[in-house]
Amino acid sequence: MTTIERAIVLERLEAERPRNTFLRWSLAAFALLVAHAWWFGDFHLSDFTSERHLENLYRFAHELIPAPLQGQPWSWSVALAWCATLMTTKGWPALATTAAISISAIVLAGCAAAGLALPATRTFASPEPYLPHSRASGRRAWILWAMTVAVTRAFLIFLRAVPEYVWAFLLIAVVGPTPWAAVLALAIHNTGILGKLNAEAIENLDAQTLAALRALGAARRHIAVVGIVPAVIPRALLFLFYRWETCVREATVLGMLGIVSIGYYVQDARARQQYDVMLALILLSGAIVLIGDLLSAAAREAVRRSD
Amino acid sequence: MPFDSATLTRRHLGNRRTLVAAGVFLAAAVSFAYVQLAPGNVQPTMAGLRLGARFLARAFSPALTYEAEVPEWTAPLIWKALVAAHTTAIFAAAAISGALVGGTVLSFLASSAWWAADPAMPRRRIGRCGSIAIWFSARVVIAFLRSIHELLWAVVLLAAFGRGQLTAVLALMIPYTGVLAKVFSEMIDEAPRESAIALREAGASPIQIFFVGLLPRAFPDMLAYAFYRFECAVRSSAILGFFGFPTLGYYISASFDNMLFGEVWTYLYVLFAMVVLLDWWSGSLRRRFAA
Repeated sequence: MTTIERAIVLERLEAERPRNTFLRWSLAAFALLVAHAWWFGDFHLSDFTSERHLENLYRFAHELIPAPLQGQPWSWSVALAWCATLMTTKGWPALATTAAISISAIVLAGCAAAGLALPATRTFASPEPYLPHSRASGRRAWILWAMTVAVTRAFLIFLRAVPEYVWAFLLIAVVGPTPWAAVLALAIHNTGILGKLNAEAIENLDAQTLAALRALGAARRHIAVVGIVPAVIPRALLFLFYRWETCVREATVLGMLGIVSIGYYVQDARARQQYDVMLALILLSGAIVLIGDLLSAAAREAVRRSD
Repeated sequence: MPFDSATLTRRHLGNRRTLVAAGVFLAAAVSFAYVQLAPGNVQPTMAGLRLGARFLARAFSPALTYEAEVPEWTAPLIWKALVAAHTTAIFAAAAISGALVGGTVLSFLASSAWWAADPAMPRRRIGRCGSIAIWFSARVVIAFLRSIHELLWAVVLLAAFGRGQLTAVLALMIPYTGVLAKVFSEMIDEAPRESAIALREAGASPIQIFFVGLLPRAFPDMLAYAFYRFECAVRSSAILGFFGFPTLGYYISASFDNMLFGEVWTYLYVLFAMVVLLDWWSGSLRRRFAA
């Protein structure tokens, strides 16, 4: 191929490359929004660099050192003793509560979502599941089932549209600052998400098997128990663990509203201006989130490999 | 293979999935016991229940004007909600733009494809040990950034820098950098390798292979994910308001504390509208563009 030929080919390839108008407009709109944000946002770098702020920052950084070591030469034994006391008085209870809240919440959400997923599934919640509609079932049955799906889906959207933190904020007013408020807040939000994911997973199941069951005369409940549940459980478990990671992360901060997860101790230390304790607890919250990620990854791998 | 019930039961019980499911329920039982989550332990007071009912009832009639006395020159409620939504979006956009820059750079450093842990890719000049060291430290930095919740970053940054608006942006930017870097690096590593291998056979340099052969294959997924994360950033930005930043969360908590439930729903519906709009946007990008 000569240079000119190559140039022509390249030009044609360039001209024929796939274009996506929607993508272009999206990128342009996003770029505009970002430019607008930096231009009109009330951001001042002097918040960070002015004399007064630097002085504050210096004092703050100094207070992050464990209290017995401030102004003292570094000693590992003192530091470790400080850590040990912190862990027994606050660390372990905070970690245990955070883990327990997240696990309770995700299991409750999983159970609620299992119940709500079926009526939100278009293929299942119809007058004649998995079979072509017969005129005999009538228009009224069809409308009723369509309404069921629409109402369930709207309910699930409502549950997940309110952030966990806002749910917890509201629930504390109703049930008081008990772990129930945090557990319910996480469970409600995740029911919305898991319900949607499970419903989509059920809709994506191989319809032929289920249609065959129906054609053989299986009732709706038989299809659900024998056909749908065993087939969808692996996916549902994957979703459950995937959402549990987020639950752990959110459970750490829900404590800041006054429930005894790790965030509560963080907020408490901040109020007392014990910044060393605060920093240690925040690092601890990072550790539990990472452990949760690792456990979840291992569990998801096990679920995937047992297929 | 015999299909008597004993064999089936044994096979089923030995199954890893069954073990995982059993583990979940065991963990749940222990957790319920630990936080004393018996149904009897939730004792909402009558006042609490009435409050909850009154709040939920207002879902169908959000306030269109202020529910309490306000000074005469106050802007209308809807305008205030829109301004708060604007601030929420501005924080999120500024944060995600910074996180995209940091996350992309970090994701290159943390992707095993870039550092040629994969035998299909050329080895870098820096040498085996050096590349592993950089790869590993990038992973550690990413884990540190993303594992701490944005609200906890906000607590630290508030104590360090005070309540400037840049503090809020930074609190969002740090964990989102970590998340974007983690997911981007996974997407780069999982991208199809054929074109990269073909380029290597043709004698391309490592940089060419990475940017021409590998990155474009991962790009659609990365872009779709970035938009999804922007939606998450809007939600987080709204929540940051609970810490006194002028986003939607600030007005939600203020109105709720004053028992002005109609106003709370107004702000909540504005937040819904933003989230649903962004959900539609990122969803249609995924459908039309990503794999």
